[in-house]
Amino acid sequence: MVIYRDEYRLYNFGPDHPFSPVRLEMLTSLLQALGVWRAPLFPPEATREEVLTVHSERLVRRVEAASRGERVPDLEHYGLGTGDTPVFPGMERAARVLVGGTLEGARRILAGEKRVLQLGGGLHHAQYDRASGFCVYNDLSVAIRHLTRAGLRVAYLDIDVHHGDGVQWIHYEEKEVLTLSLHESGRYLFPGTGHVHEVGRGEGVGRKLNLPLEPFTEDESYLEVFETLVPWALRAFRPDVLVVQAGADAHYLDPLADLLLTTRAYERLFRLILEYAEAYTGGRVLITLGGGYSLDGAVRVWTLLYHVFHGLPLPERLPEGWLKAWEERLGRPLTPTLHDPEAPYPEIPRRPEIVKRNRLTLERLTELVSPYLLD
Amino acid sequence: MLVKDVMRSPVVTVGPEATLEEAYRLLLERGIRHLPVVAGGRLLGIITDRDIRLATSHLNPKGPCPTCARVEEVMTKEVVTAHPLDPVEEAARVMRERKIGSLPVLEDGGLVGIVTGIDLLDALLKLTGVTEPSGRLEVRLPDRVGELARLTGYLAGRGVNIHSLLSYPEDGDFVRAVVRVNTLETHLLAEGLRREGFDVLWPPKKPW
Repeated sequence: MVIYRDEYRLYNFGPDHPFSPVRLEMLTSLLQALGVWRAPLFPPEATREEVLTVHSERLVRRVEAASRGERVPDLEHYGLGTGDTPVFPGMERAARVLVGGTLEGARRILAGEKRVLQLGGGLHHAQYDRASGFCVYNDLSVAIRHLTRAGLRVAYLDIDVHHGDGVQWIHYEEKEVLTLSLHESGRYLFPGTGHVHEVGRGEGVGRKLNLPLEPFTEDESYLEVFETLVPWALRAFRPDVLVVQAGADAHYLDPLADLLLTTRAYERLFRLILEYAEAYTGGRVLITLGGGYSLDGAVRVWTLLYHVFHGLPLPERLPEGWLKAWEERLGRPLTPTLHDPEAPYPEIPRRPEIVKRNRLTLERLTELVSPYLLD
Repeated sequence: MLVKDVMRSPVVTVGPEATLEEAYRLLLERGIRHLPVVAGGRLLGIITDRDIRLATSHLNPKGPCPTCARVEEVMTKEVVTAHPLDPVEEAARVMRERKIGSLPVLEDGGLVGIVTGIDLLDALLKLTGVTEPSGRLEVRLPDRVGELARLTGYLAGRGVNIHSLLSYPEDGDFVRAVVRVNTLETHLLAEGLRREGFDVLWPPKKPW
């Protein structure tokens, strides 16, 4: 089941902002041009009370006031009105619309649906008491809380190139939520957290896993650590449902980060995620979008996701008409095939060192958490 | 950052008459390694877990000291101390040069705190650590008047908030500045900085 409504595109920080609603417009128009788009489920927007299940009243009050155009003197303290997360009229509702989609996904899972793809959301940086990094409200955490309140154990997998800090901190002391984030090391990239030694607190100890990867990590090394870590953690944790933030910004074309995944790695990742759901969560999986700031890269990655999700055969070339229209509108050429070309970037001289460092990081993480995770 | 910002207080102390067993039990219970020895409000010395273990071990090259039973017989009497208003780096330098693990902190002759190597590691983490969600820029600046101001001025002009800034000298006449900024878009900032002639080391320029 796919969840989507056009109002997702109200979440718009302006024409020069990388978290652009054009991404969704491009994605849905490509799926239509490919003839695979089926009417999605139209989700309700989340209520204020639903947002308050993971955010503070004082944050919500400020988002509401700023959204109405009122002057709020301490806005920056709450991570709003910054270059990354500026205020725009109607922001509060736009954020609730996104939350509503992911939350509806959680409801559908509880109602017996197995696979849900939410074509939006994934705002994993938003924290209990502050907006951060393009993220106002944390749709993922609202959905996760809904699932845990219904008695489910939730495994959260975050393949966005940035650390899933908001989700991690909100559930940091919770026993029934496993968070698992693979990202470019915080030593180099925003938000600066996501070290292996962040393993949870109190009842949550050993249930927050972070695999920070070296800049310029490529397909093979990423898949190697992913295929070792993820099934191991899921087998040990025994979740009832898998929630996935499928950011596309680990793609080599992404302008904000430094990992080098190609569409081939993404295809494999999406197939593995569905396999893992079959093997460890009775097939229950809720997938959202996330970061992804190269229009060319992100739209093809998520088109792949849509096809793999539905078990559709992959098209090789993208439709000419669609390409022509978007190349005209964007004023630059686009990759004409669904997959990236072979060897799309120059060889990385430090490759062996990067592969070794990622293996070492995985070892450290495994050592740190296995006593907790396996008890 | 001053000693008073990183020191621990109140301080766990021991009297000079206490037995080594009592002192050692105190160290174990509190999970600490250093005990200032105090009597009548005056600092008389300091005793560490190592002092006690050596005094009671046959592994001591001088042999165990069977007559040593009380703290005052084993403690170090010339204690190196710090003042609450000393800068942290001065405390670090003293501890490094004397190769000692802690400094009792005295004010007007009274013991008001203690600084150990662990507290200095905390200070280092605070100086270099990530306290807010932020991205990282690393820039090599010529070591001359106004360069850092030019860098921070550029960031301010772009509406970017600086959460922390660390700089250290490099070979040649350069200073390395590591800046944590409240944005995901460090690549964009780096591009802008390069256009202004800055030598940006991180994030890198991608050749594709």
